[in-house]
Amino acid sequence: MMGLERALIELLLHFVTHDALNAFLRSPQHTASLVGCLIAVCGALLGTFLLLRGMSLTSDAISHTVLLGIVLAFMLMTGAGLEGDTASPWLILGAAAAGVGTVVLTEALHRSGLVRQDAALGLAFPLLFAIAVILVSRFVDDVHLDDDAVLVGEIGLAWANTNSHCFANCESLRITPEHPAAQQTRQCANCRELNISPRDERAEFREVCGNCGVYTPAQAWSAGLLDEVPTLVFFPKSITVMLVLTALTVGFVAVFYKELKLTTFDAALAKSLGFRPAALTYALMILVSLVAVGAFDAVGSILVIAFFIIPPAAAYLLTDRLSGMLLLSPIIGGAGAFFGYDLARGWLFGMLPVAEGIAALNAVFGLQLREVWDSSISASVVLTMFVIFVLVWILSPRYGLVVSAVRRANSRRRFDDQVVLAHIHNHQGTPSHAIELRAATLHQHFRWTPQKMNRVLMRLRALGFVSLEAGSAILTQRGDAHVHAFRKQLLVAHNIPDIDPTQP
Amino acid sequence: MPEPGELALAIDDLTVAYDQKPAIWDIDLEVPQGALMAIVGPNGAGKSTLIKAALNLIPRAAGSALFHGKPYEAARHLVGYVPQRGSVDWDFPTSVLDVVTMGLYGKLGWLRRPGRRERAKALAALEQVGLLDYAGRQISQLSGGQQQRTFLARALVQDAQIYFMDEPFAAVDATTEAAIVNILRELNKRGRTVLVVHHDLQTVPEYFDWLTLLNVEVVASGPTCRVFTLDNLQKTYGGRVTSLHGGQVLAAGG
Repeated sequence: MMGLERALIELLLHFVTHDALNAFLRSPQHTASLVGCLIAVCGALLGTFLLLRGMSLTSDAISHTVLLGIVLAFMLMTGAGLEGDTASPWLILGAAAAGVGTVVLTEALHRSGLVRQDAALGLAFPLLFAIAVILVSRFVDDVHLDDDAVLVGEIGLAWANTNSHCFANCESLRITPEHPAAQQTRQCANCRELNISPRDERAEFREVCGNCGVYTPAQAWSAGLLDEVPTLVFFPKSITVMLVLTALTVGFVAVFYKELKLTTFDAALAKSLGFRPAALTYALMILVSLVAVGAFDAVGSILVIAFFIIPPAAAYLLTDRLSGMLLLSPIIGGAGAFFGYDLARGWLFGMLPVAEGIAALNAVFGLQLREVWDSSISASVVLTMFVIFVLVWILSPRYGLVVSAVRRANSRRRFDDQVVLAHIHNHQGTPSHAIELRAATLHQHFRWTPQKMNRVLMRLRALGFVSLEAGSAILTQRGDAHVHAFRKQLLVAHNIPDIDPTQP
Repeated sequence: MPEPGELALAIDDLTVAYDQKPAIWDIDLEVPQGALMAIVGPNGAGKSTLIKAALNLIPRAAGSALFHGKPYEAARHLVGYVPQRGSVDWDFPTSVLDVVTMGLYGKLGWLRRPGRRERAKALAALEQVGLLDYAGRQISQLSGGQQQRTFLARALVQDAQIYFMDEPFAAVDATTEAAIVNILRELNKRGRTVLVVHHDLQTVPEYFDWLTLLNVEVVASGPTCRVFTLDNLQKTYGGRVTSLHGGQVLAAGG
């Protein structure tokens, strides 16, 4: 991990100075937005497949059960005398195992035939989560797993947890008693033992070095032991972790795009063609677990599900192609993460100040709301994503509420028109003509209001399908052609077969 | 290429059980190459189960299935499978052409992507089933019959020797039924073997030259002209079959 970070920084240093890089990374906003966007990209890509497989809630289950993986890994690490670190391979193993364990346990419960799929998930993940909670409270005290972190994470602090990398003047310094900078003091070696004062003649003395030891370049510099400033870059650990996870996720989806599409759409065909749908499912679940762990520090285990579900759900309403979903949902997720930080600081989409909105509410309704807006970043990110989803849900040009309502109203109008046209067609030129087709009473035959019939008739006359003759509605030539075309289309669409005398 | 006269499918002692209850019981079945065979039986007779077990899609309790003398793992490329229409989510964000192209994924194997050649094959299959104009459509816009024809095109591109079709005629319109029958005959003419799970007894003699009557066990199997008798049908459907005028037969229990 360190090597990777170093290579990345070296690459970046071709373009910016280390001071500029440090300044950029030290800003909580930059790191938080970057980490948030990376989580959103991973979540959106994996979530697209979860959504299409009807497994959205599995991501919620896994984001909880990885806690068990994390705790077990911490316990193993402390047992082996290692330091707990979010980038440790133990943790990755633990998370992957927890994710797979969740799916295996759910499947086992479901396959028993006694528990439905949703209930099986509901049984499996609280069990694993409960074990994790008990283990945390009983055996792990000194870990940073506090309630807040589990709930919403602390993405705003991601910038502070860094690895330092040194690129120039990097000699680490060893201060020995012989070193000129060594601060030597004399201490009484046997005063306490004999309970005497240092002035006592029996007192023996020894030299003690107050600042001896090994100094990293950074420590040496801050202790004033170096003349030359070491070139240091402080790189937030969570950026590295999420960069690696993003690379893994993007790589996985890019390499196995065809296989993922096939197994998601038709697992039986995939199996019969010789692919391994189960293996791909587990690979997907392992990646979901890894992303859940990687995102755990930043957004906690509750909100991470939003990163998996909201962007694909919005993208699903915007496109008819899987490739389109895989392109749009990371963009939506990334936008949510980016603007979410603004919202936490009081700006909706970076344009509308929340404080002014609250001030307006206070002014109009006499409320006493606090106008200063400063809230949880991860919650704001989720809220922003949801706002984007709602906008898409209402305005999507394909499946949005507005378009659907317009489409429904149009087809209802067309249907009314057809009903009236068919009625005129059937009765025109029959003996009941005068009764059935009198414009003034036509509405009674349909049990419609006169207003509705008037509207329909006006529309049909405007379209040139119907004209009035001696108070009766009759079809024009155009109207007649229209009715015939419609009937033909109807018969083809439903393929009403010839009546077979042998059928009962 | 398989030799003529060889058995396309040889099922031996195949048993599948759900919860210790046999769904199909000790099935022995031999289908000669070039047969156009209907698998007919009442609901719960194990027709779909038979196909799925033969294709290793569900675990077998016992028995084996050989395709042109080879086990399924070695004969994948010889086999084309048309599952029931309801087995997939038709709201999946993809196009008709894409679904048909999926039939070629087996030949492509892992990692290789479909290219121009695959596209051309898929378009040719769509033309064969009369859906060429629908190639770019989102699959959710298809009618039931069009969905079935899409599945059929997907099987056609596999260019298999032996086809398994699970209820292709279920709830389709007359156009689709005619289109499917034409394709079955075309496949038959080219020496392919086709097994079709079928429900409509009346059309069996017209559409199929080979017939297997199934009710958990095989009741009878062989050329339609010999197997399609009232006696056999009554054995299969348990007496719920009545003879109608003109030798027409009707399954009362479905």
